[in-house]
This record gives sequence, structure tokens and C-alpha cells, in this order.
Amino acid sequence: MERITIDPITRLEGHGKIEIFLNEDGNVKNAYLQIPELRGFEQFSIGRPAEEMPRITNRICGVCPEAHHMAATKALDALFDIEPSSAVKKLRELFYSSFYVTDHTVHFYALGGPDFVLGPDSNPAERNILGVIHKVGVDIGIQVIECRKRNHEVIKMLGGRGVHPVAGLPGGWSKSMTKEEHELILEYAQQNIDFALFSLKIFDDIVLANQAYVDLIVSDAFTHQTYYMGMVDDENQINFYDGLIRVTGPDGKELVKYPAEDYAKHIAERVEPWSYLKFPYLKDVGWKGFVDGPESGVYCATPLSRLNAADGMATPKAQEHFERFYETLGSKKTNGRYAPVHHRLATHWARLIELLYAAERMQELAQDPEITDQNVRPVVTSTPTEGVGCVEAPRGTLTHHYKTDENGILTDVNLVVGTTNNNAPIAMSIKKAAEGLIKNGVVNEGLLNQVEMAFRNYDPCMSCATHSLPGQMPLEIQILDKDGNLVETLSQYID
Amino acid sequence: MDKTLIIGLGNPILTDDGVGVKVAREIERRIDLKAHPELTITEASVGGLRLMEAVLDYQRVVLIDAYYLDPDTTTPGRIHRLDLDDLRAVSPTQHSTSAHDTSLVTALDAAQKMGYTVPSAFMIYAVEVENILEFSETPTPAVAAAIPQVADMIIDELSLTPL
Repeated sequence: MERITIDPITRLEGHGKIEIFLNEDGNVKNAYLQIPELRGFEQFSIGRPAEEMPRITNRICGVCPEAHHMAATKALDALFDIEPSSAVKKLRELFYSSFYVTDHTVHFYALGGPDFVLGPDSNPAERNILGVIHKVGVDIGIQVIECRKRNHEVIKMLGGRGVHPVAGLPGGWSKSMTKEEHELILEYAQQNIDFALFSLKIFDDIVLANQAYVDLIVSDAFTHQTYYMGMVDDENQINFYDGLIRVTGPDGKELVKYPAEDYAKHIAERVEPWSYLKFPYLKDVGWKGFVDGPESGVYCATPLSRLNAADGMATPKAQEHFERFYETLGSKKTNGRYAPVHHRLATHWARLIELLYAAERMQELAQDPEITDQNVRPVVTSTPTEGVGCVEAPRGTLTHHYKTDENGILTDVNLVVGTTNNNAPIAMSIKKAAEGLIKNGVVNEGLLNQVEMAFRNYDPCMSCATHSLPGQMPLEIQILDKDGNLVETLSQYID
Repeated sequence: MDKTLIIGLGNPILTDDGVGVKVAREIERRIDLKAHPELTITEASVGGLRLMEAVLDYQRVVLIDAYYLDPDTTTPGRIHRLDLDDLRAVSPTQHSTSAHDTSLVTALDAAQKMGYTVPSAFMIYAVEVENILEFSETPTPAVAAAIPQVADMIIDELSLTPL
């Protein structure tokens, strides 16, 4: 069997690579993203007091420590059987919304956006934030930096520390808001809304106004029909902080809706001999391999998935854009729900709609009279046993599951991180991108760009399941003949 | 006196990955902080934009990071003193960039283009590491031995007053 390897790290060992296996005719048989796994987190945690977990797990990853902090804090609520007050919930969600604004902003402007703003065929060395600034203007770059700055300030204010927050307590939050902080947050929330609307306008002007880009988004090469997962509130609208996990099918119908603690009843993990990665799938449907369709238990958990799994957005402006998203991409509404959009590149647009929602939600919460409640540190009285905490991380549903002895010392820890949910769909997207460009052993030179775009829209977090990658990502494709001999190497840098 | 930032990069619970953080903590323990009002010592496990944002207010920046090379050629514990041009060329350290972000060099270029004043001096200390894939608070012996040495070198280079 012929085998193609795309190795994102050539100079530095031990990092992710993409392998494409060809059949005897020289066409794509399978494609996989391989990421090295961090080892020993469970052993590291066992024997420690559970209440340390919000501060330990936020060290797993430098990309979204806030998401781990929040999932861990919610797992402690369940573990110590203490329901947070509505003031605590609102304070946590406000903090979390501010984090979402920064995270979605960096992806659009520094990572995903450049593919569109500069074009998928542009020089990869220029396809970064510097290139975006060059194309659309210095003012936009300043707005991006200012947006991140003010939200990092909020994260520090409410989280107790800049990068790795420390405020989460079982049933509570150690930091309430002062009057001055409240006024500042109100001001920042409005600026965030303006910034989100401005970002959607850029998407309109640069992407939607360009028919070639729209054609690319809806092209078959970037389309997969899978199940979709996302957290929803009582109205089946998106919520990042709390709610039930809803899974909808390729036809848009609800498959199941369950509380976070039932995750193991609905999700199983497939292990393949060629990878140490686990491939989660829906137990209710079953594993049929890396294939599309209603018979396949493959599901996706991304911004696009969350939109597809929900009936709508809980804030007014985000709802307008939600409707526009589905109408523009040709989705019809039946029984009050839009049919799902299966075009993976539309994830970039969905991410901006979520950015607007996070900004609006932040404002709603900041305007709530309860938000300045100083009574946010309840006393824990129950004996801990077991707890599951779940949030929507920017890269997918994040679940923390802890078990302890009667003294609260951890005896078992299981984490299902955002990107892991998407391991199977990422493999499918890479395969499809490669299929279009490798025919009968002939490799089209556009392969690197297309593969990059195929996995980038998932915003896969290699540092979460694993570790932050060093350096630029040199993307290398090695083409080997059926005897395993190297016949060609293609490479470029991803910045 | 130039406003100076010493920033230890890495994850302190990932065996050798947190070597930068541990060096920063060592410096903090050993010097007379009162004698250096211009100095800030901090730690972070961030790269790219977030790292750039963290250094913007300073004139001089010392980055300390893990340096992961091919296991066949590396010498764990070996110390490198690099500058920004080295990062621009071929030797990115473990945390100065991130797949989720842009590289520090690109982020600094972008900041400069937008009119921000970026630090005029970057001193980068990189320590070759052995294990960055297993959770542990204890570095491997060769890397642990390098920690006080790097601290010495930085205290020396910045002429910091010991306690």
C-alpha cells in the first residue's frame, strides 16, 4: 500500500503529522491526523484534593485554560453536591463569555481568517495576522489587539489571575465585582458587540461578496454529513456555560438530549491500532468507520455543530445573523428548525456569530442586577463522591469527570477535551481534501493548502489533547510508493 | 532604568516543559526585589499574540523557555542564549509560538506595524529538554541541574542584586 505522510514537524520531533494512505491504483484510501499524547494526567491527579483541580487542569493547556478551569469548577459543584446560586452562575458565565470573545477573535484574525482574507492560494508565508493587517488595514489590527486586551483585563479581574484563573470554588466563585469593575465591564461589553458586528461585516465584504469564496465554502470537497453536538438551554438555544447536551442528525432531527453526567451512556471511544488517539462516537448510532451519513456514529463538536444542534441564538443580534447564515447557505426551515449546514468551511462564519452571541451575552449578564452580588462563596457541607462538569469549550464540548474518597481525595479522573470529539471528522475532512487532489498516484500541488484549510476550520487544539506545538508548523507531505519508498516531498510553513 | 520583564515560559506540571517557569521562580527567590523597582518577574504558558501582548509595556525582555530537539542529537540541560533573530531564523523554542496563534516574531512585527512600541532588547534563554509529554512536577536530572545555572547567567547579564 502506498503511503503519504504530511509531517507538520520536521525539525522537532514528537509532534503531529498527517498520513495519507493510497490504494494500489494510487488513489486515497485513508487519511489520519496523528498527535502525540500527553501521558500520566490521571496518575498525576490521583491522590490530590479535588478542589485543586480547577487550578491544575487550567495548566493542561495554554490555549484555553479558562475552559478547563470552568469545567473543573462545575465538576466540583457536582462532586460536593452544591448548586451554585444564580448570582454565582451569572458571574461565571460573564467571565466565560469574555474569554470566548478573545478566543474566537484570535482564531478568525490570526488563523482561519487569513485563508479567506488573503485567499486560499496566497503565499503561506503571508497567510497570517500580518498579512491580514496588510490587506485590510492597520486599524483593524489595532482593534483586534484592543479587543483582546480589554477581555484579558476582565479575565484577570474576575478570574483572579491573568492567564491561569484561580477563582472557581465548589458552588462558588472567589471573586465578586466592585462597582468600578462593573462599570468598566459594561463599557467593554458594548465595545465587544461593536467589534463582533464589525468582524461580521468584514466577513460579508471579503468572503460573502466574493462568489469564488462562497463556491469554495459550499463545495463538496469541504462538505460532510454527520451528527452535531452542542450545549443548549431550556429553549434549545446555544449556551456555552450550562445546559443539556443535544445531538442532532444529518437530517437535523434531534437524536438525544442528555445531562452532562450521562456522557458515558451516549459516547463511546473507538481505538484504532494505528493511532493512540481515541475516536469518540455516538453509542446510540454505533461505529461504522470514518464515514458520513445517518448510519454512522461520527459526530462533530465545533461552532458550526453548535449552531446546527441548536434551534437558535439566545441574543437578538446573534439570532439575526444565525437566520441569515442558514438562509444564505440555502437551508430550509421545517418545524421551526433550519436544516443543518454541512459545509465545514462555514465554521469560520459560525465562529463569528458565536463571537457576537458571547459579546451580547456578556452585556446581558453585566446588566443583570444580581451580577454585583457579593455573596458568592458558599460553605460546603456534603461528603464528596463523584462529579461531572461540562462546558462548551471554543473547540468543542469539554467534560471533566472526577471520583474521590470521603475526604475529597481524587481516586479517578477522566477528561474528554474539545478537540477529541472531532478526531474522526478531522480525519474525514483531510481524506476528502486529499481525494480531490490525488488521482492515480498524481499529486496536485494544491494539496498542502487544501489539507491545511480542511483541518484548520476545526481549530484543532494540539496543545490540549497534547502540547503546544513549537515553532511555525512546517507542513510536509511525503509521498511513498507502494513499497514504502519516498518518491516526492512537498512542504510549506504554516504560521 | 529600562523597564524589564523576566518571563518564564512553560507548563510547570509537564516534567521539563516548565524549566522556564522554574528559572524565573529561582531568580525571584535569590535577588533583592526591592533593589529593582524596574523589574517584573512572571510566568506564563502562552505563545504568539498573547506573549506579544504581555511584553508590550517593557523595554527589555528576558524569555526563558524549553528547547525540544531531536532526541538523537539533543543534550538535555544544554543552555542556549538566543536573540529574536534566532527565533526569526530556525530555532523556535517550545513556547515562543503556538499552533493556535501566530509566532512571537510575526506578532511583534504586527504590533510594530500597528504603531505599538515593542521591546528594544530581547534576551532568550533556552534549555534543551528531555521529557515534555508526561505530567510531573519534577524535571529530569540534567534539566534540574541547569535551572540554577540559567538563573546565575540572567542575574549576571542583568546585574541584579542578590539577597
